[in-house]
Amino acid sequence: MAALDTTADVREGVDRETVETVRSMSGTYKHGWETDIEMEFAPKGLNEDIIRLISDKNGEPEWMLEWRLDAYRRWLTMEEPDWALLEIPPIPYQEQYYYAKPASMTEKPKSLDDVDPKLLETYEKLGIPLKEQMLLAGVEGAEVSNDRKVAVDAVFDSVSLGTTFKDELAKAGVIFCSISEAVQKYPELVKKYLGSVVPQNDNFFAALNSAVFSDGSFVYVPAGVRCPMELSTYFRINAENTGQFERTLIIAEKGAHVSYLEGCTAPKRDTHQLHAAVVEIVVLEDAEVKYSTVQNWYPGDEDGVGGIYNFVTKRADCREARAKVMWTQVETGSAITWKYPSCILRGDDTQGEFYSIAITNNHQQADTGTKMIHLGKNSKSRIVSKGISAGFAQNTYRGLVTMHPKATNSRNYTQCDSLLIGDRCGAHTVPYIEVKNASSRVEHEATTSKVDDDQLFYCRSRGMDEEEAVALVVNGFCREVLQELPMEFAMEAQALVAISLEGSVG
Amino acid sequence: MVFPRAKLLQQKREAAAALIDARALPEGGAWITAARMEARDRIAALGLPTKRDEYWKFTDPGSLTAAEAAPAPVFEIGDESAVFDGIDRVRLVFVDGVFDADASDAPELAGVEISLLEDAAGVDLHWARDLYGALEAEGQHPVARPLAAVNTAYATQGLLIRATGKAQKPVSLIYRRSAEDADVMLHHVIRVDSGAELTVLENGPAAARLNQVMEVDVADGGTLHHVRAQGRDHERRAAAHLFARLGAESVFKTFTLTANGAMVRNDCVVWLNGKGGVAHIAGVTVGEGAFHHDDTVFITHAAPGCESRQVFKKVLREGAVGVFQGKILVRQPAQLTDGYQISQALLMDEQAQFLAKPELEIYADDVKCSHGSTSGEIDPTSLFYLRSRGVPEDEAKMLLVLAFLAEALEEIEDPALAEDLRSRIEGWLKRHQR
Amino acid sequence: MLEIKNLHAELEEDSDVKILRGVDLKVGAGEVHAIMGPNGSGKSTLSYVLSGRDGYEVTEGSATLEGHDLLDMEPEERAAAGLFLAFQYPVEIPGVGNMTFMRTALNAQRKARGQEELSAGDFLKIVRAKAKDLQIDADMLKRPVNTGFSGGEKKRNEILQMALLEPKMCVLDETDSGLDVDAMKLVSDGVNALRDAGRGFLVITHYQRLLNHIKPDVVHIMSEGRIIRTGGPELALEVEEQGYGHILEAV
Repeated sequence: MAALDTTADVREGVDRETVETVRSMSGTYKHGWETDIEMEFAPKGLNEDIIRLISDKNGEPEWMLEWRLDAYRRWLTMEEPDWALLEIPPIPYQEQYYYAKPASMTEKPKSLDDVDPKLLETYEKLGIPLKEQMLLAGVEGAEVSNDRKVAVDAVFDSVSLGTTFKDELAKAGVIFCSISEAVQKYPELVKKYLGSVVPQNDNFFAALNSAVFSDGSFVYVPAGVRCPMELSTYFRINAENTGQFERTLIIAEKGAHVSYLEGCTAPKRDTHQLHAAVVEIVVLEDAEVKYSTVQNWYPGDEDGVGGIYNFVTKRADCREARAKVMWTQVETGSAITWKYPSCILRGDDTQGEFYSIAITNNHQQADTGTKMIHLGKNSKSRIVSKGISAGFAQNTYRGLVTMHPKATNSRNYTQCDSLLIGDRCGAHTVPYIEVKNASSRVEHEATTSKVDDDQLFYCRSRGMDEEEAVALVVNGFCREVLQELPMEFAMEAQALVAISLEGSVG
Repeated sequence: MVFPRAKLLQQKREAAAALIDARALPEGGAWITAARMEARDRIAALGLPTKRDEYWKFTDPGSLTAAEAAPAPVFEIGDESAVFDGIDRVRLVFVDGVFDADASDAPELAGVEISLLEDAAGVDLHWARDLYGALEAEGQHPVARPLAAVNTAYATQGLLIRATGKAQKPVSLIYRRSAEDADVMLHHVIRVDSGAELTVLENGPAAARLNQVMEVDVADGGTLHHVRAQGRDHERRAAAHLFARLGAESVFKTFTLTANGAMVRNDCVVWLNGKGGVAHIAGVTVGEGAFHHDDTVFITHAAPGCESRQVFKKVLREGAVGVFQGKILVRQPAQLTDGYQISQALLMDEQAQFLAKPELEIYADDVKCSHGSTSGEIDPTSLFYLRSRGVPEDEAKMLLVLAFLAEALEEIEDPALAEDLRSRIEGWLKRHQR
Repeated sequence: MLEIKNLHAELEEDSDVKILRGVDLKVGAGEVHAIMGPNGSGKSTLSYVLSGRDGYEVTEGSATLEGHDLLDMEPEERAAAGLFLAFQYPVEIPGVGNMTFMRTALNAQRKARGQEELSAGDFLKIVRAKAKDLQIDADMLKRPVNTGFSGGEKKRNEILQMALLEPKMCVLDETDSGLDVDAMKLVSDGVNALRDAGRGFLVITHYQRLLNHIKPDVVHIMSEGRIIRTGGPELALEVEEQGYGHILEAV
């Protein structure tokens, strides 16, 4: 394939482009505008009536409502986790809106033409990621320069807006729709798998999500099907004081392959907004799922005012032999990130991979990492984490690798590198390693250092200013992870690395 | 409703209250009574540890906090020579946790002052007054170590050792046991004055259950070497806390060899408070069967230009469990920190387990910190290479195990001590060869 | 010396992978045999099976050294019996000093043969003399086994062990791989110095060039787990000029 052969050249080009992008971007947070459209809110606060209302608005069957109420009752008995290296101010759960939806969506649009033009404008403004606004605006068949098609589902506050390329996917047998649509159209699949990877009471935020999730994406790839295009969901929080609780469920049947991309933004606001999502992935025999995230929620301003609280539970279950899952994440946004995309390697010869870049600047805090739970024989996992901390930010890698007694001959390799820019920030590494059989091999390496002055000087002596030099050096530091991203995401991610670190030097 | 975290704290405090009710504070002079009362308040506030505490994630403290110690048979060393027998040293002997003057050498060594805790407790102006319980109290943050507070409150035996000059030979603490139910608390305080040098050795089976605290204060430019061999008596239980505060340009090196033991928890808490201090904490663990060994280390770099090294190696077989929790905390002023940490386990069969949490928490940017942790079996390729050169399997394994342990043993400064311990390990491996 | 009859071997993990499919080979004392063959022909596997490496299952046939059944022995017993394998990829063993390694090996073999162990002093003398011939400096002897050695240093270290252990039958697995011309000459000289009437050699190589330095008496071509042709040194030149394809077709 020609596209693959030229990868190396393109990557070289990406580096140049990064520098140019950095130059061209003068603002700090690029996506920080808000769309002025009419919203329909449920009343503030959380109680059983609100949950009934959410369920009713989504036209859900009784079992779904019961499931939500069950989760809600469990949530009431739970506490927010306190073990992360995060300072989380008290969250007034009763002051949040748990359901918001653009008024023009009260009647669900039949096609994108019915969508409020202001929404489409929103996507135009969002720019880089995946050229998806082109796809959304022009709908199907939009010319994409590199011949790659990406099916997009967009979630705006709580409601899914529309999914492109539905017909083409349907031909391949792939179901890609909003979770609310799936509850109605494919109740058996949803019933079977929802909560099977992340149970309702898994943790405080997952329980909250289970009670109030209003939308999200659903993907089903049948046995033997290689999904003909990348699937993408685009999340945006728009309304003020609104929590976003999307729920994603991906099922890859035997021998299925799918690559899923996720992007996130939110407008600038001086209050904090809560985002508590759950992603569940079920991977069956010989199936492969690749899940990539570029998380660019509003991080708050230079003084730490405002920003998204991003408390997310993501987990993949490699249920059967030779199932494979790969998480790649670029976390540059959010005021606080609490997120551990994990792999349960249940089947024999399963594989889990986690590649992460987490950048915190100003007053951002991130506590993120992964869990690799080895249950099956000959299972393999690999963790590469790059944490960059600047300004007054705190950045923690937290991970668990566990080799159960029966997971013989399994392997894990973990590499965690942290980079500090400036002397007021923190970088932390908290790995848990549990090895309960001898034939498995676990290797963990971690380093922490400051950004290399010699490298910076070398770049500057070649004419770059300090910020360009930092962006370049940091991109180099992140290279091993960046190259795991799909091409479009890699470009956006490189640009984001640069933007996120603005103001971190000098 | 009562949420789980509040409930847990309530239970911990109830357990502490029961302990406090059951024990009277020992008699003593004004300063030690004050220290004991403060420690008792700490116990009440912190509660006793439980396995639900994050800090006891991999080790159940139940047998250490239980009201009664489980009896353990007295280990007979037979006609073997004891560890350090060939080393010229000042021998100070405790039997069942009580100092035995008759069995000991005269506590006299040029440049060193040695006194007993029970004697000093009645002296108003003893130098240890400002240290006893003070480092332990400081060591309760950011992580609570209630067992050490229990020790400060109730221990009556221990040594107060002050080095004022360069000691010509080691001070050797030797523990012996005669009673199957010996439930012992020892509290030692060691102060190394500016420019002074001292080596302290510890060995021997102390008790069926031991709660030990050693508080160490090394002044600017002082040097303390500490080498300890925790014996082979299988069924003993022990929690040993070592708190060390280091001044500028000081050196503190501690090495622990642990062979067997039903439950051993070694906490080591070090503060590098002065510029250019050096702290090396190392250990070798060899364990078999119903063996649970936990090395927990917390190093705080509070001053610039300090170096810390943690090197821990464990050889585990037949269900033995090895734990390592090691943390390097670098505070904002501690620029130019050099922090290194390695923890490795060799699992000799399918039943052995290694549980680790190697942590870095760093608030200064100009630092060089790294940690590594590995676990696995003997490398089959190396084993085959040795065998293909004619080395029998058992001998080849021994060579590879000793090679695996070498990095930790190299942390022992004195070659004679290192060789003594190395040969003990070799002996253990030979006895336990399959 | 070495006699291999109808040797069949497969992967222990996957019995569908049959690597040796009936190897017959006889190397007499004082002879140098070369085995050549394309990648994947089973050359290296033959050396592993002879030396007793895990991962292979012998399903049929025999291999004897001076009449002793090799396949029944542990790897160290094979070594004591006089078999030596020079590894294609010598193993790095951090933490074990090269000297300790060699002395342990030599004394273990001496002990197994009922000979007295060498004192540290005597051992040192012997090693130093042999090391000098191979231009191995004192530093290489002090470092941990093969750790941080260059490709050439590793191979020289293999030959040093061979010289020291004085085996009866030497198997050299792709000894030329990763060597430049000078290093190859040095290694070959070391091997040639060990050639004598009582010792057999089996040189496994993909390329003819090593055989310019270590002149074989007999050359075998191996393909798909069998020896398909045997001839004199001229056979190696034929491979060099015409490639394996030509020879394989002709069979």
